[in-house]
Formats: sequence, C-alpha cells, structure tokens
Amino acid sequence: MTTENKENRRGVTRRDFIKGVGVGGGALVLFGQFGVHSAAWALSGEPALKMIVVDYGKCTGCRTCETACASRNRPVSVKGKELPGLGNPIHANIRVHSFNPDVDVAGVCAMCADTPCAKACPVEPDPRGRRAFYRDDATHTMRNDEKRCIGCQSCAKACASQRTGVIRPNPETGRPEGMCTLCGGDPQCVKRCPFGALSYVEVRRDRKFYGLGPEKIAAELARNWYGTTSFGGAQ
Amino acid sequence: MSAKPGYYGKILNVDLSTGKSETVPVSSRDLDLFVGGQGLGMKLLWDRLKKPGVDALSPENPLMFIPGPFSGLPVPSSSRTCVVTKSPITAPMASDHPHASTVTYSNMGGFFGPELRFAGYDGLVITGKAKELSYIVIDDGKVEIRDARKFRGMRTDAFDKAFLEELGDRKFKTVYIGPAGEKLVPYSSIIHTAGRAAGRGGSGCVMGSKNLKGIAVKGTGQPSVADHERFLAALEKARKALYGTAYAKSWAEQGTARAIVGNSKAGTESVRNYREGTFTEADKIGGDAARRDVWVRDIACFCCPLACKKSGVTKGKYGGVVHDGPEYETGVMLGSNLMISDMPGLLKAITVIDDLGLDQISTGNVIGFLMEAYEKGMIDRKFLDGIDLKWGSVDATLAMIEKIAARDGVGELAGKGVAGLARHIGQGSEKFAIHVKGLELAAHNIQANQPRGLSYATASRGACHMSGDNIAMQNRRAMLDSTGMCFFPTFEPALEEPMLELLSAITGHEYDKKEFEKAGERIFNLEKVFNYREGFRRADDRLPDRFFEDAFTIGAKKGAVLDRKEFETMLTRYYKDRGWDPESTKPGTAKLKELGLDFI
Repeated sequence: MTTENKENRRGVTRRDFIKGVGVGGGALVLFGQFGVHSAAWALSGEPALKMIVVDYGKCTGCRTCETACASRNRPVSVKGKELPGLGNPIHANIRVHSFNPDVDVAGVCAMCADTPCAKACPVEPDPRGRRAFYRDDATHTMRNDEKRCIGCQSCAKACASQRTGVIRPNPETGRPEGMCTLCGGDPQCVKRCPFGALSYVEVRRDRKFYGLGPEKIAAELARNWYGTTSFGGAQ
Repeated sequence: MSAKPGYYGKILNVDLSTGKSETVPVSSRDLDLFVGGQGLGMKLLWDRLKKPGVDALSPENPLMFIPGPFSGLPVPSSSRTCVVTKSPITAPMASDHPHASTVTYSNMGGFFGPELRFAGYDGLVITGKAKELSYIVIDDGKVEIRDARKFRGMRTDAFDKAFLEELGDRKFKTVYIGPAGEKLVPYSSIIHTAGRAAGRGGSGCVMGSKNLKGIAVKGTGQPSVADHERFLAALEKARKALYGTAYAKSWAEQGTARAIVGNSKAGTESVRNYREGTFTEADKIGGDAARRDVWVRDIACFCCPLACKKSGVTKGKYGGVVHDGPEYETGVMLGSNLMISDMPGLLKAITVIDDLGLDQISTGNVIGFLMEAYEKGMIDRKFLDGIDLKWGSVDATLAMIEKIAARDGVGELAGKGVAGLARHIGQGSEKFAIHVKGLELAAHNIQANQPRGLSYATASRGACHMSGDNIAMQNRRAMLDSTGMCFFPTFEPALEEPMLELLSAITGHEYDKKEFEKAGERIFNLEKVFNYREGFRRADDRLPDRFFEDAFTIGAKKGAVLDRKEFETMLTRYYKDRGWDPESTKPGTAKLKELGLDFI
C-alpha cells in the first residue's frame, strides 16, 4: 500500500513537472529572444495588456478555438438576422500549428507593446496619428483601415520576422488578417476551449514563449517533452 | 440544382489509370438514405461493383475516404473519416467467385475527414492504378497527381515529415501507407498524422495496389446546414453535455488504455492468443503505468473534448518517441495477447507496426498464433527463419513484425493472416486460428462474452470490434460511423438528444433514436446483401473452435467457455430478428423493401 502511494505521488510529480514545462518557468532559456521585447514593454510606459495566453501543456490540438473564433468573428446573415457563423477555421484569428512529434502550438496575437506591425506600415498617419495598420486605443487590439490599406504586406512581414507571425495577408488583396479582436472583451476561444488551455489575462512581460513564432515554441516543447528537436514539415 | 442541406452533393473521383479527376454528383436520395461515412461508402461500392468476385487489388476496386454530415462543422468529436473498399483479406468458405470477399470499412479520427469537407467534397473515391508510385494533392478544386518514387519504401513517420516538407504547407492534412502497403501485405493500414490509422481490413493494401503512397488535402470552404439557428442551439447543448464532465475527464486521463486493466479483471481481454481472458501482469502495461512512466501529452482529434490519444517517450533499449498509446487495442494485441509486459518493449512494437503501416490488431493476432504453434511444436525455429518466437519475447516480436512488412521468408506466409497460416500448418492449428471470414479478432475476448462473440461472427467486415453486441447496437454503430462523429462520446447519455438534434438541423431530415437506428439497419443490410452476393453464408458466420473448447483456467471468469448449441440457437434467432433467412442468411425481400433497398 505504501509503495503504491509513493508511486502515485511520484507519478503526479513527474506529470506536473512535464506539464509545467509547457506553461512558464525556466524563463531564462529563451531570454535572448524576448529580452528586447520586454525592454520595449518597459519603455512603452503602457499598463500591462490583457491577452490570450496558451498553456501548451493543456492544449490537445483539437482546434475548437479556431472554430469558436471564426464563428464569432465571421458572423453570417440568416434571413436578415446576424448570427454567429458555422466556424470555418480558415477564418480564425487563432490558429493551431501541428508538428511531428506531437506538439500543437496555438498561435494568437501577442498584442506587443511596441507594435512592430504598425510601425512597419508605410501609409502616412492620419490626423489622429494612425497609419492604415494601427492599435485601437479602446480595445488595445490591432486593426486595419481597409480604406487606406495598400495591401503591401509590410505588417505581416514584420510580425512574421519579429514576432508570432499571426498576421496573414489575404491571398487576393494582400490586406492583413488574423489579428485578435478579443471578441469585445469575451474571447470565445477561451470560453470554448474544452481543456482550459486558454486564458484571458494580463501578461507577464518576461513570460516564457511570449511573442515567439510557433516553430520556435514547438522546438522548445519537443525538446522538453520528447528530448528531440527534429521535426520535419514546412511552415 | 441545389444540393441537399449539410452536403455539397458531390464527391471527388480520381482515376489513377488515366490521371483524370472529376467531381461526380451524389443524389439527394443517396445522401438521405446512406448519410455518409460507412453508409455512403457502401452505397458507392454497390453502385460501382456491379458483379461479385471483383479482385480487391484490381484497379476497378474503388478506395473511398468518406466523411459524414458532421464533418467540417464544429460539432464535438466530429473527426472521423471512413475508409471503405472491398476487402483484400476476407473470403467465404465456398464461392463461385475466385476473388470473393466482404466489404471493408475502417474508421479513423484526426483531421482528414473535416479537411476533405473544407475542400468541398462529401467524399473522395480513388480508382485505377498509377503507373509509378504517386501521391495526390487536393487543394480545394485543384487536384494533382504527382510522382512519389523518391519516397518508395519510406516508413510512415519519416514520410509524414517528408511529405509535408515537400508540400511546403503545414495546413495540408495527409494520409499515407508505409512499406507494408507498398508491398501489398494484405493487412496493411493507412496512417494519418502519426499514430492515427484506418487499420483494419486491409485498406492500406488496396491503396498500395493503386501505387498510391499518400494523399494530401486542404480547403477553405465549409458545408451549409439546413437550419442555422437550430444548429447553433443544439451545438451549445452538445458541448454542455460533454465539457468538463467526469465522463470527458476520464477519457482524457487514460483514453482506452484504462480498459487494459479493467477488462483483464473482468475476464474479457485477449490473452495468450485468446486462451485466457485475464493477464496477471496487465497493470504493467495499463493506463496507470503509462500515465506514470510514458505519456507527456493528451491529444484530441478535430473539435473533440475527450482527448483519448496520448503521446509520450520511453527510455532504454526500446526507447523513443511514442505517438500511439498504449491504447486498448494496441496495448492488448501486442501486450497481453503475446504475454508481453515490458512497457517500453510493447510501445516499441506498436511504434514499429505503425511505422511500417501494418494493422496493429491483425499483426498482434498473427504473432500470437505463431507463438502458440511454436510452443506446441507444430512449427520449429527453422520455419520461423531462426526467430525464437516465445511468449513474451519483445525481440522476437519485433523481428517478426519486420519480416511481415517486408514479406520476407516466414513473413510472406504470416502476411496472409491466421487463416492462411492455419491452412499451411494444419495439425489442428485452425482451432486456435482466431479469425472470422479471414479477418482476425480484436482485443475483446469472448469465452465470457457471448454477445461480443455474436458481434464478431455477424459483422460485415469479418471479426469487427466496432460493431455492436446486438442488432440494435449493430445498426446504431453502422449509422454512427456514417455521420463523422466518433462513438466514444456517445456513451454519454446526455449527448444523445443534442446529437440527434444536430443531425436534424444539419441535414433537414428529422432524426429520433428510431430513425437513426433505421438508417443504420439499412446500411447494415446493404452490406449483408453485398456479402451475400459474394457467397457468404451461415457457415461463414462461425467462431473458431477455441471459444467452445478451451475454458479459461484463470481469473474472474475461470471456467468460462461458449456453448456451441446455445450459440447456434442465438444465431438462428439473430437472423430471424433481422428478417433474414436463418439457413442461407439471405435478407428477405420484405425487409429490404421496408428499408428502401428495393433497387437491389
């Protein structure tokens, strides 16, 4: 009996340890990559922003978040009534990237304080100081002024090269898509995740994995979970 | 022509002989009557194979990937795709047709079915045979057949990575075969995203016969629903029935592996080539042990709140990344059925079988049969190419797996399954050759479980663990596997009403429990008609002698054995209740008419 209890306890500890690796802790490992980032936060003087945070240890890769996001952010008109859509994942602003060995990384806008995406926008600021791509002061989300956007994809390129890469140029217009709207303060991905892997919280600036692209996160998780960094596949 | 709600009303047909692909309409009536998945696949097979005895490995035999009306919508656990084709494994005792075999269907989770629907199709049908090893890329309406020769012989895990790298876009969802499928080992599987498989019934062999290494699909569309508001309301209810429940959590905690210990205790596990129902070392390979020593992650299929799949890592001689399990079927067939209780060794065997693209269940069953024949002195070490195939030996098991996949030496014969092996070995070995109609039994043992015995005997693809234990459940399962929903969440009674509500809201066809089972009965009957036409009769619905002769000697069900007379009585009642002739098993015309199968 004693042995069994001991074993159980050991089991839980091991599991908790493994899970813990997916959340935070050991922030120093990737300090180089987000050191600059957190400095930007400190300099920006802005209060900490609330954003969607992923617990990679709890995420199962089921993609329910994608459908919940798309359903809310791509409403449809049915008999003259606006209703949530059917949730086609292609229109989701949160996107699950799957790797082999089995790692799933849900990527979502990091709401960076220093907005490299907006800074990359070449469109002349309007009288309110907004480029075509800008941060909405009320919601703190990134938005695009479709009327002024020239479809040059600079915002998407900046995001991909410097941060998470969630901004996708529309294949036809080149205009940016994939920015998190926070669903008016009630993010549906958080609400619908069956595993409690997503939360809508104030971020720690030095949070592990903060603002990184899915490939980098996946590599780190694969190393921690499986002791390997070799996964094939493309972007 | 507007399609039936919930559907596109079209399938994609790729002919590998001509290289031509085209969309083919599916009538609203067929969609209404046969729904999708297993059912629609059966109807398409019936329409295309107009005569019995078509060689399963001929270009004529269609290989079909059919999602269902739930696929591509955010319905919980709507991840399944059914692979339907004519079986390269099964055979009747006697038939006028040289290549007679049953229909086969194999149902897999993951993301392929939903993606096929995003791409704009209710199904994918592949016919013909490519001149060289090829793969198919489907990107919405764009379909291409490309050369895959450089991937020849590649194992599935390496190919999973190499294929995506070649495609250059991680959004593609892929299925593929391993070296075993390329070599036409009859019980080859089709693998999807490392560790998910359409394993049973030889669909990987049929894919290999078409010179098809892989299929990639991605899409941007989504099917419509008949009643949008009703759908959203029912979706809400379905989520509520599962999210955060103790039921869902128990699946996430151990998946199907929980039953490895549970069924051993209950005396219903396949142990030592089905000789026993209890494995005294089950706890070493069960869910608790795996959770403690192996698993690092719970993994879910598309929109599934259960997350029954696990990945992990093992250390030591057999160490490595584990995509798959142990699950109940894989853990028992390669574990307790072979008396293997070494967890890393068991997981190595499971990993290698997936990597080579073999069916876990048939492979474990075949090796168990050989171990018993070797122990009994019916075959010697020379017969086994020097492999010392003793109970519990991981190394011998691994060596045999490689032989089977390569069709090398004894592997050529072992690849024919236990029916073929018993014919070759003789000496009474057919008594413990555990198959029905040529398809090996799965991990549920039956000396102490007569209803499951009936299920194995009468299921349409041979000994199938996915069919039900009575007529109502058989019908229900046939229908469930036609909808695109996984059957794991459906054990939760609270899901029943929202599930039927969702199906009605999507298709515009009103389903209650009765109507749902009726559709399943129709599907099951068409399968039976197909098999009957091939020459399958009552004598083919038999169980191996072991279950009537070898009573369990250990465990909670010690002494359990089936009674032959009782079983035959049960079978007769089964046929009568089905509306089939109890002598010939031919479905009665009255029954067929009642089910709307009067086109037969």
